[in-house]
Amino acid sequence: MNKVNIDRRHFIKITSLASGGLVIGFMLPGMQALAIPAFDCEFFQPGAYLRIDKKGKVTVFVAKQESGQGVDTALPMIVAEELDVDFKDVKAEIAPYGTLKQGEHDTGGSQSVLNMYSQLRNAGAIAKAMLIAAAAATWNIKESSCAADHGEVVNTISMKRIKYGDLVCQAALLPVPKKVTLKNPKDFNLIGKSEQRTNLKDILTGKTKYGLDIKVDGMLYAVAERCPVLDGTLVSVDDSAAKKIPGVIKVISYKATGAPMHVRAGVAVIASNIWAAIKARKLLNITWDEGKKNKESTEELFKTFAAKAGAKPQIDVFNKGDVSTYTGKNEITATYAAPFLAHATMEPVNFIASVKGDTCELWGGLQLPDWTVNTISKEFGFKKENIKVNLALMGGAFGRRLHFDFAMEAVKIAQQTDKPVQLVWERTDDIRFQPYRPANYHFLNAGFDANENLVAWQHHVLGTPVAYMTDGPGAKEAPEMDGADQGFCYDVPNVHTGYTPVDFNINRGWLRAVDICVNTFPVESFIDEIAQKLKKDPLQFRLSMLENRPDFKTGDGPGALVQSPARVAGVLKMVADKIGWNDKRKPNHYIGLATHSFIFAKSYAAHAIEIELLAPKKFRITRVVAAIDCGLVINPDGLLNQMEGGLAFALTQALKGEITVSNSRVIQDGFFSYELLRYDEMPPVDVYMIDSKEEPGGVGEVGLPTVAPALCNALAAAGYRPRTLPIRNEGFSWV
Amino acid sequence: MPGFSLNINNKQYSVEAEADMPLLWVLRDLLDLTGTKYGCGVASCGACTVIMDGDAVYSCQRPVGACVNKKIITIEGLSEDGSHPVQIAWQKAAVPQCGYCQPGQIMTVAAMLGKNKKPSAETISSAMSNNLCRCGTYHRIKEAINIAIEEINK
Ligand code: FES
Ligand code: FES
Repeated sequence: MNKVNIDRRHFIKITSLASGGLVIGFMLPGMQALAIPAFDCEFFQPGAYLRIDKKGKVTVFVAKQESGQGVDTALPMIVAEELDVDFKDVKAEIAPYGTLKQGEHDTGGSQSVLNMYSQLRNAGAIAKAMLIAAAAATWNIKESSCAADHGEVVNTISMKRIKYGDLVCQAALLPVPKKVTLKNPKDFNLIGKSEQRTNLKDILTGKTKYGLDIKVDGMLYAVAERCPVLDGTLVSVDDSAAKKIPGVIKVISYKATGAPMHVRAGVAVIASNIWAAIKARKLLNITWDEGKKNKESTEELFKTFAAKAGAKPQIDVFNKGDVSTYTGKNEITATYAAPFLAHATMEPVNFIASVKGDTCELWGGLQLPDWTVNTISKEFGFKKENIKVNLALMGGAFGRRLHFDFAMEAVKIAQQTDKPVQLVWERTDDIRFQPYRPANYHFLNAGFDANENLVAWQHHVLGTPVAYMTDGPGAKEAPEMDGADQGFCYDVPNVHTGYTPVDFNINRGWLRAVDICVNTFPVESFIDEIAQKLKKDPLQFRLSMLENRPDFKTGDGPGALVQSPARVAGVLKMVADKIGWNDKRKPNHYIGLATHSFIFAKSYAAHAIEIELLAPKKFRITRVVAAIDCGLVINPDGLLNQMEGGLAFALTQALKGEITVSNSRVIQDGFFSYELLRYDEMPPVDVYMIDSKEEPGGVGEVGLPTVAPALCNALAAAGYRPRTLPIRNEGFSWV
Repeated sequence: MPGFSLNINNKQYSVEAEADMPLLWVLRDLLDLTGTKYGCGVASCGACTVIMDGDAVYSCQRPVGACVNKKIITIEGLSEDGSHPVQIAWQKAAVPQCGYCQPGQIMTVAAMLGKNKKPSAETISSAMSNNLCRCGTYHRIKEAINIAIEEINK
């Protein structure tokens, strides 16, 4: 029988990971583990990502934060694939904060699958190798004579089988192999097949606990009134009426903090229940000092953009060839604009904090828990090891929870009470005090040669940068130009793009699909506009500048992203084909196209949208076709859901989403004024996937950027080119 | 503080609350029935939808004082084990993303089908158009409604 050596360091690790769960009989170094029936354990956990119990049930600890994008299913699928277990035996849990390396919990930029793919394959393969080694020892055969199959190890000589669950205690004693062989992707039998969400049943029966559903012993509730103008200060508060509401415990105030999160000065009502706090809040009588920057408006901001648009960009971003040779001759210019936007997650942000002396415990949904902890440590003076974080499921994020202003507020409030307190943002707070997607404005200019070939492209982006808010006023070089920088995919010999930052006194943040969404609307509208002016077919015009262009790197470093014009063309051809671009259009029906590369998530998508024009500027969206190329697809159904949902999210932006500001105050205050797409406005949609063996890309954002330009290009084909989002502002209406 | 006796999910509960406290907060904070969600508090999103005497109602708009002697069903009580035809349909169509709006969506559909087994497209649209889903699962909600209708008419 093989001797199983106990790696002492590993042994200690398992013991501590098991947190008391590992029951050791009596072990002597050098003893043959397999001959010791007294050895028992609760489970086998070779690392931070997974655990297998004695029933063979697998728990995958999901490093990335779930907010509806499906990481709680796609990531466990990757583990299960290499581990060779049935997916029904796998459950997902949030990886407890602190069990992973710094940054590993970070969730954003559609990076979850990209970041975790190799690591999780490895984790699954390591566990499988150890189970196989344990089985080989049991049978006293070579590991190479064993195979893994559906949660069992098979003796390929005798064809006997042992269940993983019966091997976990032996496997737990083995050294963790440094190197393991991964499956050949052609042997995948889970990855690439649709699986239902691991917590689907809980969602449908109301059992799921989001941050807002968490209850901590002795917890109080708080809602807060905030200074309507960013950076204002509190002058005085009369809380006498508020305090009379039964259930109110106290009213406290806290000061503003600046970068990176820009917490406004606030007055919070702490009460034994939310309702009491909400009622009392309305009775607060507060005087604010709004500071000097309290007269700004979006109306003026867009005038400033327009005034600066024709001038040279403040920051040069991408230069190729020499555009100056062509400007002034045979040119087309155009401007486009889009407003501030709010994330408006269905679960409004909320957070629980408990402060006891120099320790602090936190509960809630966060996309960037490490940054949160580091900042809270710095800001409030807690040692990092004295901050305990309990991560929660999120009812939507879309970038909202990359920001943790609400967590800092919760700490400010909790510092003033001896009980844990849950800060709840009412919907009005959510819409009025967001880190908003920047407002933006674009000036584009195209030049042609005598043969009407596009030879010069200029794009000046003006915006209110996120970087000014997160990095403070030092962030002067803050171009937000993804989608309009060196990754510009069309083969035009002379290109110049640049950025002009304009400051504005409301907080800004990252919203799903970020700059790529901002910049794809003008780029894909303008390309279409040029084709229209030149009377060229918009599909062929694009393809002529994409299809023969080889892949290229967008920088010099080893991590430089690769742009693939061929894949940009591939998704475009797919939507054109599926919607019947070359077929005869029905009367009053028009089709618009748009394509792009969501370059930093290694995925590509295009949309074709057909409208029926019912009256001037009045339309119905009759069909939407989307195509995506994101390399290897982990969970096709999850991908489809993201693409369908991305369409709805992007249609909200195209049709009606808008935040406006007057006197430095956001005007909208809820869903009546900040309207979202509704059930009856959702058009029929078909999503197609490009079959690809490329490494897997991210899919949470790629479905957005081409929606608005495809819709606008359809309207332009009907004779009405929208230049401003939301198009409702230009007099468009829809049924 | 006044006391109220409420019939929720076929069980009798007694709670002490101010009479104006919306049913939403009674369910969530006092009874720990957190399946009913807060989305806006002002009748603009549908996340808080429960069934009251057969009607889909916004629990954020119903003061507890007005809920006595009513038969209230929340997502937790729609079925014992997720086997209500609407829940099954939702599972088949794999509707949810974040899932936060889904209890409200499901309760709205369950109430609608409870009254009318074959609703017209217009009836469905008007019943559903106030239930917002920021994740944008409307396409699948539509599919799930069709599956549920087919199932209950078998
Ligand atoms: S919470 Fe009741 S309708 Fe939004
Ligand atoms: S599933 Fe997230 S809001 Fe509907």
